[in-house]
Amino acid sequence: MAVKEMPALSNTAAQAVDVQERRKPLAKRIYEGRVAYTMLAPTFVFLLVFMYYPALLGLYRSVFKWAPGLSADFVALDNFVHLFTKDRVFLNSMDHMLQLAAWYVVSTVGVSLFIAVLIHRLRGARTQYTFRLGMILPVVIPAIVPLMLWKFIYDVKVGPLNAILTWAGLESWTRAWLADPNVALYAVMLRNFPWVDGVAILILLAGLQAIPYEIVESAMIDGASEMRRFWSIELPLIAGQIKLITVLTIMWGVQEFTAVFALTQGGPINSTMVPGMWMFFNAFRINKMGYASAIGVVLFLLTLVLTLINMKYITTEEY
Amino acid sequence: MSAVVTETRGQYRRSRGEQVGLFLRGDWWRIVLLGLFLVGGIAPLVMAFLISLKTIPQFARQPFALTFPLHWENYGFAFEIVLEFIKNSMIVSGVTVVGVLLLASLSAYAFGILEFPGRQVLFYLVLSLMMVPSAMTLIPSFVLVKDLGLMNTYWAMILPWIASGQVFAMFILRTFFESLPRELFDAARIDGASEWQGYWRIALPLSKSMLGVAAILNILGTWNNLIWPYLTIQKQALLPLTPGLWAYQTEYFTRYGLTMAGLLIGSIPLVLLFIFTSRWFVAGLTSGAIKV
Repeated sequence: MAVKEMPALSNTAAQAVDVQERRKPLAKRIYEGRVAYTMLAPTFVFLLVFMYYPALLGLYRSVFKWAPGLSADFVALDNFVHLFTKDRVFLNSMDHMLQLAAWYVVSTVGVSLFIAVLIHRLRGARTQYTFRLGMILPVVIPAIVPLMLWKFIYDVKVGPLNAILTWAGLESWTRAWLADPNVALYAVMLRNFPWVDGVAILILLAGLQAIPYEIVESAMIDGASEMRRFWSIELPLIAGQIKLITVLTIMWGVQEFTAVFALTQGGPINSTMVPGMWMFFNAFRINKMGYASAIGVVLFLLTLVLTLINMKYITTEEY
Repeated sequence: MSAVVTETRGQYRRSRGEQVGLFLRGDWWRIVLLGLFLVGGIAPLVMAFLISLKTIPQFARQPFALTFPLHWENYGFAFEIVLEFIKNSMIVSGVTVVGVLLLASLSAYAFGILEFPGRQVLFYLVLSLMMVPSAMTLIPSFVLVKDLGLMNTYWAMILPWIASGQVFAMFILRTFFESLPRELFDAARIDGASEWQGYWRIALPLSKSMLGVAAILNILGTWNNLIWPYLTIQKQALLPLTPGLWAYQTEYFTRYGLTMAGLLIGSIPLVLLFIFTSRWFVAGLTSGAIKV
């Protein structure tokens, strides 16, 4: 849920002080800032050991052929070349990642928008409150629980999905949803039906409720229909929130592999493999740590590019 | 038309009769649609509850409908195992969140309130970490924790999670500290208060709700982490809830009554947390939309 933006350290009063302060010699200013440095010290100790060092080591190891306990051989960019030219599994996993991320965006934005507008149009304040609470409650169920339940729902022998299909006379449709390479990726995608995302709903609802009612009122007096009210007034005014949800969902979709890990571990026959899972597999199942680090670096570069695009073109100031 | 306007706008409490009136005049189909979404979302949990009361033969005969007698003892069995996971999760997430709040509030105070050379540079150094995906640090962190001899200890989870969790907490706290009136701190300085007193006696008491928001977000993150504990903890006795439930389900997979009971018991602690802190929860979950 981390929002990536660049807040400038702007504070006019502080800047005025800053100008005065700059006249003092640097050593004296550093000495006067000793309390601040003391306050920052623990943070930076932790960051150095557990964030900067691993991040830099990840970059460094990505140009080695390396397994723990063995000597590392410098291979320059061979890992990356191999990834993008010879590794079919990796290339397919990128494709799967794109499909998953695209679906996550469509389902999250689509369903959440629909629900948020429905709640917003409710006339009773109490029913509005009740449904808002009802939509957010599932967030507190540990994420692993729905994953495990859906693994069961998709089960070939005892899963309710096949039971429902059989009951409805669609016996030919039943299958081992997570073990059939033709459908496993879609099964992973479509889990958690009906895709209620409480966080996205809250964000959109907050946007809808922030629209000054006078705008909607005047349009309604002029005879605008409900559809018109949505398309011409509300949708443009919550574009900021929609962009935010889209960006967060894409970022999450690129890195996320917990769902794949819990449901299929990338199988069957790599049909649900995503880059994060492939990295995990290379690192901890077949001990190709250097190669796995290279996948990590690719994911980092992807995130970096997405962040830069987001900052340059998408970030809006309105919300 | 104007009647519609005042109705939609009304945030005052309505009498029961008025509520029924509104329902009949057009809310009913929205309520039905929203209700369907809620039912669809909750259906798997209801299914889990029904199955959790069955023995293996009961499940084989009638998998989804309620069967009698109800076997509540499944919960007793699951409780003994899952309680251990919950205890571990509470220790790990608890220590982590205390560490995160302490470090993040200190650094947020330094960045938000104090003046010192290098403030901007150091701040951007921290900011840049938000672009580093956890996937990139996963392998080196694993090797590091292994080299430090922390495998199979709570510290293997706590220390890296404090490091990564404090970044986002620091951002929301810094924004909040900056919004506090500076006169407060200036007045305290003039009265001879040290910066530590400004932090402890002014900034922290004023930002209790923001600390709550940061805490909730952090707890949700660590509570749901599956991959990292799976890698670093092999001793079942030390597993936190999320990987614990995963291991538990793998072990008892075909004994569906027991698995479902375990999954449901595992859901309880966060639900309790939600009940007691729902205000912070809702604020925290939408804080993605707050400008950081």
